[in-house]
Amino acid sequence: MSLFTLGIARGLLGQVLGMVIGMLLTCAVRILLGWEAWAAEPAWTVGSVCSIIGFLLGVGSLDDWLKWTKGIPTPFHHGPPVDKPAWTRYFSVDYNHKVIGVQYTVWGILLLMVGGTVAMIFRTELARSGLQFLGLDLYNSFIGMHGMIMIFAILLGVGGMANYLVPLMIGAEDMAFPRLNALGFWFNVPGSVLLLLSLFIGGWDAGWTAYPPLSARGPIGYQLFFLGVFAIGLSSIVGSLNLLVTILRMRPPGMSLFRMPIFCWAVFATSLLQLTATQLIGTSFLMVSVQRALGMGFFDPRGILGEVSPMVGGGDPVLFQHLFWFYSHPAVYIFVLPGLGIVSELLPVFSRKPLFGYKWIALSSMAIAILGFIVWGHHMFVSGYNDILRIPFMYATLLVAIPTGVKFFSWLGTMWGGKIHFDTPMLFVLGAISVFLIGGLSGPILSTVPTDFPLHDSYFVVGHFHATMFGGFVFPFFAALYYWFPKVTGRMYNETLGKIHFYIMTPAFWVQTLGQMGVGVMGMRRRIADYDPTLGAGQIEAWHMAVTIAGFAIAFGVMLMLWNFFQNAEVGAAAGDNPWRSRSPEWQIPSPIPEHSFPAPVRVVGEPYDYGLADSGYVTTASPGDD
Amino acid sequence: MFCAFLYNVVRVTHPRGQYLPRACILQNRRFIGKTIQPGTIEDRCMANNRRHFIIATVLIVICTVLVYWVLDTVLLKPAAAVVEAGPIDNLFDQHIWLIAFLFALVVVFMCYALIVFRARGDEGDGEYVHGNGLLEILWTVVPCFVVVYFAWISTTMLIDLTRPNPDEFVISAEGRQWSWLFTYPETGAVTPDLVLPVDTPIRMDLTSDDVLHSFWVPEFRVKQDTVPGMVTHVRFNPNVIGEYTLRCAELCGTNHGGMLATVRVVSAEEFKLWQSEQLAQRQE
Ligand code: HEM
Ligand SMILES: [Cu+2]
Ligand SMILES: [Cu+2]
Repeated sequence: MSLFTLGIARGLLGQVLGMVIGMLLTCAVRILLGWEAWAAEPAWTVGSVCSIIGFLLGVGSLDDWLKWTKGIPTPFHHGPPVDKPAWTRYFSVDYNHKVIGVQYTVWGILLLMVGGTVAMIFRTELARSGLQFLGLDLYNSFIGMHGMIMIFAILLGVGGMANYLVPLMIGAEDMAFPRLNALGFWFNVPGSVLLLLSLFIGGWDAGWTAYPPLSARGPIGYQLFFLGVFAIGLSSIVGSLNLLVTILRMRPPGMSLFRMPIFCWAVFATSLLQLTATQLIGTSFLMVSVQRALGMGFFDPRGILGEVSPMVGGGDPVLFQHLFWFYSHPAVYIFVLPGLGIVSELLPVFSRKPLFGYKWIALSSMAIAILGFIVWGHHMFVSGYNDILRIPFMYATLLVAIPTGVKFFSWLGTMWGGKIHFDTPMLFVLGAISVFLIGGLSGPILSTVPTDFPLHDSYFVVGHFHATMFGGFVFPFFAALYYWFPKVTGRMYNETLGKIHFYIMTPAFWVQTLGQMGVGVMGMRRRIADYDPTLGAGQIEAWHMAVTIAGFAIAFGVMLMLWNFFQNAEVGAAAGDNPWRSRSPEWQIPSPIPEHSFPAPVRVVGEPYDYGLADSGYVTTASPGDD
Repeated sequence: MFCAFLYNVVRVTHPRGQYLPRACILQNRRFIGKTIQPGTIEDRCMANNRRHFIIATVLIVICTVLVYWVLDTVLLKPAAAVVEAGPIDNLFDQHIWLIAFLFALVVVFMCYALIVFRARGDEGDGEYVHGNGLLEILWTVVPCFVVVYFAWISTTMLIDLTRPNPDEFVISAEGRQWSWLFTYPETGAVTPDLVLPVDTPIRMDLTSDDVLHSFWVPEFRVKQDTVPGMVTHVRFNPNVIGEYTLRCAELCGTNHGGMLATVRVVSAEEFKLWQSEQLAQRQE
């Protein structure tokens, strides 16, 4: 078996070829125009576009559609590839949502590790004031790289959970559009390759937000970064469309929207955001890309790039921020809503009690999603936009706290009066609640403009969003990994190691995030490699040291988890079909799940969370003749 | 330690073995419209719930004060050197109270539930309760008032902070990679350091020569981006003589971290002297 039986190897080869072809094309056009053949920026830009297409062609994600254009039939193949080992399906185009879910998750974890490594490097630099071993430009590239890789990782993790779980939870055979589902995953690979590659051709030094004019003048790495984000954005859009259709159209009879497992509501709200907001970050980055490549001064007020092209000028840097945050604020809810859905999903199972206020939780996700569209201006309170606009944005932002509060109180209601079990997934759910609480509570102080003045662009904001993202994504994601690991592999992880992971990571994270907020209040700005050691009455270095140590502890915890999974995926104790005594459909079928998940169409016979109601069930998965 | 304390409180008031349904408040639907006879299970249940809530309330009060005290002690705000720092720090303080209270509210109820309602080795299920509409409405509506309160006081404060003052002293500042230039319109002096007269309302007219920067002196609290192609304003009234550092707060490239300028707040006489020196220098 050669390496190229693996789709991903063919894809990467296609990506390289695409890059080369794109570059040659650019040179050819320039020669025809009578210009100097080689110009690095246009060559890399066109090359990157072609490389994405090259990857998709190479991996074979477009094959079926290309065949359709020629009228060739493409019968649907279920199961592992016929003439290759079964494991190869995870490295190639496969249309089974369970395979795609695993692909998303594993790729997401890989990126999480890359992004985490980058963070550990600059965190080490920050442990002391002064510059130790990183250069200023490299530092700037690293913080942006860390931010964007982590965002990719989160989107992939969200995609993994949604693709794997939603069809199972609603008892569907697969996603509505399996081919689109595969395409949605495979966009991510060339996207992340471009992002990582950008570090080697100059990097980009304006942070993950990439505000122009800075991003319009920096190294070529920006172009790869923009196009990488564009590819990931396409993945979000097609993926969310697929999820929306699946949730709306593929539920079995009797499963009304308010009878779905609550995670599906979270995914529904997230997908609405993804489908409608992602275009804006694509557009804003594409506009900077075009400004750089063709000299169109969208965000350039007065011809700063004058030497490059006479056409520039007449643009507005603040406009970029509006476009960017119109996506990137909703994006933060894209990151956390599924995680909060996991919390709501797992709490009833481990509290042995119905979910408290199901409809309120479901609708609070929708309320957050909708409010999320009208608060983007809170990232721009000091950007120089119209002073008066700050007031409505302030009101709208503070309002988001209300549906968020509803979730917290409903979670407490779920635990109150239950019989709570403390298995590792539940511990991570509790960790998520505690951490998201810290994140959420640090929000309002950023939302009232007068207190945002000192805190904006300080390390406080860094602490705020790490707490929201860890509480809203990382902790619930880990809870989900521990919880569904037995379903995916059929094996149990090591409970002791899981608990050790939890007890290391949770306090460490509290120290990290509160420490970040603390140095921000002292007056430390974000995105600086070297800080003033006299801040905070000279205590700041000690705080930074604590944050760095906590960061390493978290990294250690994550390694422990991965080792735990790696160890037990094949040889762990058999988990049984339903180790958590859950009512959800996916636990009523064997672990690992067979190729066709459900032996017969699922029928809904009760409510999803009626723990405590004797002799009740949620769904039956047996064929009607059996009972 | 706190948890151990909580556990003891709970232990004392919740003797094991005695039959008491452990929580019923949330299912008070069961009691609606019923007259509860003293001594019945329902009565004991209500009493027990009342006890749970009384304990929780006491703990929340203690915890709120504790959290506020801790945050107030560990959060080291830079010294305040402008009049505006007064109201801003006051609002900050109100936020810290709110944070302390909400943190206590959630954490106390959570820890309480985790201890009292933990599964004690039995595989049974918890109370069969689906929710409580009244509670949900309550915790949706009450926060609305808190939100409006905070938004309202912030709005009036913001309007005060940005209100033009006819006597304000205007200085222009230009950010450039990676330094600052200040122009005093009255004298035409251009300097790399910012010198300010004490007790004078100041308006900075900010702009940028290249990319975004941000004007921030932590002791002054307020912050404003500088944007190429437009003039933005920030207003403050320095009231403490001393030397501070202006720190660029918007990532602006390689040496963003080092984009600093010295800010000196001096007495009115000293400022006059400085201005005449500057004028003399220019005329040379
Ligand atoms: C209670 C709800 C929340 C409120 C009121 C709130 C408020 C804010 C405000 C006002 C800012 C701007 C701070 C500044 O730059 O000066 C901010 C930044 C941020 N928030 Fe939140 N937030 C909330 C929840 C969340 C959640 C759930 C997330 C999800 C992960 C999140 C992620 C972020 C991020 C990523 C930033 C910083 C972006 C950047 O400048 O790089 N926030 N938040
Ligand atoms: Cu936001
Ligand atoms: Cu700067």
